Amino acid sequence: MSNGAVGQVIHATYASGVPAVAWPARPRQDPVGGWAAGVSTPEQPVVHVEAVMGTMVSFRVHPGAQGRDRCREAIEEACEVLHTVDATFSLWRPDSPLSKLRRGDAALAEMPPEVAEVLDLCRHARDCSRGWFDPWSMPGGFDPTGLVKGWSLDRALEVLKRSGSTAALLNAGGDLVAFGSPAPGARWRIGVRHPWMADALACVVRLDAAIATSGPYERGPHLIDPRTGRPAQTVASATVTGANLAMCDALATALAVGGADAFDAIAGLDGYEAYVIDASGDEQATDAMAFLD
Amino acid sequence: MKRFPFVIGSTIAGLAGVLSFHSRATTGPLSHSVPVKAGTSARPVPAKPGSTETTAPRSSVAHSAPTSTVPVTTQGPPTAASATGVNEQYGYGVLSVRATVSGSRITDVQVVNLQTVDSYSQQLADQVIPYLRRQVLSMQTARIDGVSGATYTSEAYAYSLQSALDKLHFR
Repeated sequence: MSNGAVGQVIHATYASGVPAVAWPARPRQDPVGGWAAGVSTPEQPVVHVEAVMGTMVSFRVHPGAQGRDRCREAIEEACEVLHTVDATFSLWRPDSPLSKLRRGDAALAEMPPEVAEVLDLCRHARDCSRGWFDPWSMPGGFDPTGLVKGWSLDRALEVLKRSGSTAALLNAGGDLVAFGSPAPGARWRIGVRHPWMADALACVVRLDAAIATSGPYERGPHLIDPRTGRPAQTVASATVTGANLAMCDALATALAVGGADAFDAIAGLDGYEAYVIDASGDEQATDAMAFLD
Repeated sequence: MKRFPFVIGSTIAGLAGVLSFHSRATTGPLSHSVPVKAGTSARPVPAKPGSTETTAPRSSVAHSAPTSTVPVTTQGPPTAASATGVNEQYGYGVLSVRATVSGSRITDVQVVNLQTVDSYSQQLADQVIPYLRRQVLSMQTARIDGVSGATYTSEAYAYSLQSALDKLHFR
């Protein structure tokens, strides 16, 4: 028996009294007569897709001993976190707290405490990136959107962790955050999209916590150089992995516009790794970027 | 020459979710990986200032990840089944796909409905969708749980595909 299985059984006995056999030993009936007929399978994850923050957030959650119904409740709670963050920080909604703050219609002291927290994170990310991530230098005014999306997923993941789920993977339009493992002994494997070839991956990396990739894709360049306030196009693809998605999002944005200088900045940070593809297709990565074959 | 692919390039975000079940469920050879050709123009530079360490040599991305080989399933004779996914709205239109599965494999994906808000979005979708289809079919061998880096069309495609697979109880 693998360590993973032992851990799950132990968890099942103390957490909620739900016996381990409550997990579906097999997936639901398989009308196409495929592999399910005779193959024992690992626990099937609970999946969910939520439209929020102008994108789709997909959930893959391994419920563990709490069972699937309670897992779904935890996912609902996590989605509420995402919607609350969206309502607080949306720049599309003129009545959102952040919109009011930007207009000067309200003071920081009147904001929900999350606003001050995000401002602190933005300052930290700006410092860490040598200014290449700078929400204060956006043409339309203070815009922390890039960091906020990742930060909200970090918080949603915390909800799922607290619920007793054994593993989860959240994907918000190509920015991913995860904990646990997809199967006993396995690690999350994430492909980095190829900047030019849609039917290929640039590489596959191991995901321990968070990964964000930034680049000018389908809709052309959209990244703003904070030093000029104009669209930047220095690299084809910029990926950052690390402990939390808020920072990874911000640093990937910085890497996409800041090129070599931003790369050096990230290389000097503990706990974050960078992978960049430049406009001519050459690749560069920090030492501990977890490439997989 | 290097510029135009920025416009048409696209990948599936959320395909992750679609294919992850499959990649966990297959009993095919788990030693398969994304092969990368060696000996091309990689020019890794020092990763940290003042360091002579470089990353492991990696090829130019233009040659990466040909994932088109399709492993033969070891299960019994499979029966093909199809279902159409929901119409997914995305920022620039709506689309739905029809998926065909055979045993534990997705064998085909076709777009059955596509309406876009303008002709430019139609052009983009027309260019992107063939790539998405190929990626769905080929990425089943890449054993990945997700793709980092996203686009609009690809998300709608992936989620409609997911709903089609749900109808087929495809895992």
